[in-house]
Amino acid sequence: MRGVLGFLAPKLLRALVAVWLVTTVVFVVMRLSGDPVPLLLPPDAPTSEMERVRRDLGLDRPLPVQYLTFVGNALRGDFGRSIHFREPAWSVVVRYLPATLELGLTSFGLALVVAVPIGMLSAIKRNSPIDQAAMGVALVGQSAPTFFLGIFFILTLSLWAGWFPTSGRGSWEHLVLPAITLGAFSMASIARLTRSAVLDVLRQDFVRTARAKGLPELTVVMKHTFKNAALPVVTITGLQFGTLLGGAVVTETVFAWPGIGRLAIQSIYNRDYPIVQCTVFLSAILFIVLNFAIDLLYGVLDPRVRPR
Amino acid sequence: MSQLTRRDLLKSSAALGAAAALSPALGGTAAAQTTQKRELITAQGGDISKLDPHYSTSSNDIRVSFNIYDNLTARHPDGKLNPALATEWKLTAPTTWTFKLRSGVKFHNGDPFSSADAKFSIERTYDPNAKTMVATALATIDRIEAPDAGTLVIHTKKPDPLLPARLAFYGGQIVPKKYVESVGNDGFNAKPVGTGPVKLGSWTKDDKLVLEANDGYWGGKPDFDRWTMRPIPETAPRIASLLKGEVDIITQLPADQGERVAGNATTRVVGALYAGLYVLAVNSKRPPLDNPLIKQALSLAIDREAIVKELWRGRGIVPSQPIAKGDNHWDASLPALPYKPGAARDLLKKAGYKNEEIIIETTVAYLSNDKQMSEAIQGMWKDAGINAKVEVIEYSVRAQKNREKSFKGVFWSDPTSTLGDPDGMMWRLLGPGGPQDYWRHPKWDELGNAARFSVDEKFRAQAYKEMTTIFFEHFPWLPVIQPYEDYGLQKYVEFGPNPNQQFEVRKFNLKFKRA
Repeated sequence: MRGVLGFLAPKLLRALVAVWLVTTVVFVVMRLSGDPVPLLLPPDAPTSEMERVRRDLGLDRPLPVQYLTFVGNALRGDFGRSIHFREPAWSVVVRYLPATLELGLTSFGLALVVAVPIGMLSAIKRNSPIDQAAMGVALVGQSAPTFFLGIFFILTLSLWAGWFPTSGRGSWEHLVLPAITLGAFSMASIARLTRSAVLDVLRQDFVRTARAKGLPELTVVMKHTFKNAALPVVTITGLQFGTLLGGAVVTETVFAWPGIGRLAIQSIYNRDYPIVQCTVFLSAILFIVLNFAIDLLYGVLDPRVRPR
Repeated sequence: MSQLTRRDLLKSSAALGAAAALSPALGGTAAAQTTQKRELITAQGGDISKLDPHYSTSSNDIRVSFNIYDNLTARHPDGKLNPALATEWKLTAPTTWTFKLRSGVKFHNGDPFSSADAKFSIERTYDPNAKTMVATALATIDRIEAPDAGTLVIHTKKPDPLLPARLAFYGGQIVPKKYVESVGNDGFNAKPVGTGPVKLGSWTKDDKLVLEANDGYWGGKPDFDRWTMRPIPETAPRIASLLKGEVDIITQLPADQGERVAGNATTRVVGALYAGLYVLAVNSKRPPLDNPLIKQALSLAIDREAIVKELWRGRGIVPSQPIAKGDNHWDASLPALPYKPGAARDLLKKAGYKNEEIIIETTVAYLSNDKQMSEAIQGMWKDAGINAKVEVIEYSVRAQKNREKSFKGVFWSDPTSTLGDPDGMMWRLLGPGGPQDYWRHPKWDELGNAARFSVDEKFRAQAYKEMTTIFFEHFPWLPVIQPYEDYGLQKYVEFGPNPNQQFEVRKFNLKFKRA
């Protein structure tokens, strides 16, 4: 038990520092780069009116005072009221969360289910047409910008072929195109990494030994090779899940998907400080939880990194 | 196909049922297009932010709020002021307007509408405790009386010829007194109640807003049972959703995409000439822009014809004056602003221009084509020997600079004519203390002030004429284009676009063609 705590405690501390740093940087940058008040009022509102609204929103106070209030409230779980929506920021953000999780988890699942077998197959049938085709597609998937890919899918698979709705959220059909778009990059990088990881292991002595023992190829690949190749794959997969949330900003905008990413980008344009802070906080926490999960998974997969 | 678009346009600015009359020109299949739909689905560039009409003036919000609520007066798509919750109004003393209110009108919750609600709503806009975003919209009002349930008497601080026009725009939406007082401002924003043709059904933010038809609407039940408004931020997917038939109407159709919609068998384009202008506003305090000759040269060196033709695909007109076409006192006798690069060069020489840098500050796509127009104008100015530079700024930075009046040279502005009158446009923005107060001229100020408080339209016409003459000497704005605001629609929808960003779904303006 002590071992686990010694393993977790420094990581936890680092995580807390990271959350604090991220929210502070966002707090300062947002406030220095624009003002929400002129966006709320009609363009001809006089200065006195601007000042009145700034006062109502508490934006006339010195920055350090605003910051301390923010931290004090945030520690109690209160992220303030959205300037744009006139509601508590937290309750706004929480309503956008399910859509993002639905999309993120689907593309993540899709990426894993498609990419890992393809990567393995590519490695085993190295330099075959299958390998070349798969890696070619992966290269495109990894290099095409999400924005372009999304519009491309809408024009081809939705408008031209008529298979899927163009945008919005609702039935499972609505989910297909955004999930593929969002997952494309992860899919490609996971497939490529799986391939090279498996190739690495295939070259090792114990694989030759296993083959020499006369084990069936399937057992060699599934039992001996894949288990050993899994470590880098888990790392990249975990990190990819993080980028899925980041990539959601573009995908959600293109497909009019009502998720956190779109909320965040709009709130940045609107300088809706409380919402931006709340989404950033949430993403930071998610990243940290993910990293934790990966660290723990390492221990399961590789006895050498277990705390002694 | 572009012909069709232009004709649609003419029609839409005229009257209703326009499309029906036009259809034969579109060919057999098109003319036959009908629907059995009872649900209207529209898509716009962003979600609404608030349902309480007094807390927002953004165009996304007012497309909806002008339909949940009624005003006392209504500006219809033809640009004319019509009765709404007030059936008639007249000036009963120089500073007194008396309104007769419509009887038998009910709010969505069943409460009857009376003068008490109208008085409460208007006073709420400038009540400091209500903290609204429209506190200045009706600030000419001194006090309001409600002598009986069907009469409202409004006293203004000074004579206000435009009060009925003011009441038609934002700030003028009427909310129910009793309900607002019982549920509070936040409760009202969450569950709004108005007298309008639609009422709130459900709202999933950034996904869909569902509005149900108000069966008992005094102007007749709208031609649908339900209206779903979907925010689709990117232009390409918004157009795709229209072409695929998922939505009936899309807003904010860019000029260069019109042909795609018009060229499609089931869709068409309608547009209304924007009630306002796109101008490069000038910080006339900054040398060399304090020199009127240089500003005259800047104007002469802009090839507006080319901008309209190339960047807007003809979807706009070259302005002839600082008053928008369609407004009161727009002078039809003035020619379009000329392009004379040679004359511009002579003026620069006369002004002693020493190649000082003139900075164009532009946002990207906050106004359609803003960055493209900036680059085009930079090129035109370079050709005329003007050292121009384009600087790109983000919208919220622009808003801040606007507040601080800290623009470095010229910057884009899209002055909207909120009242259908130059008072609500050039005087509102360029007048003393206005948001674009960078230039003062005693005579111009005197005329603008006199016209604001005069109820004599002949006098006002003369005043604006003289103001226009002074304007041409000093160019506090460089008017560039008066564009069309285009919408894409299914051919089975008959809809007249409103020039001032309202989105009218009442029965008189939106109908489905049914078999």
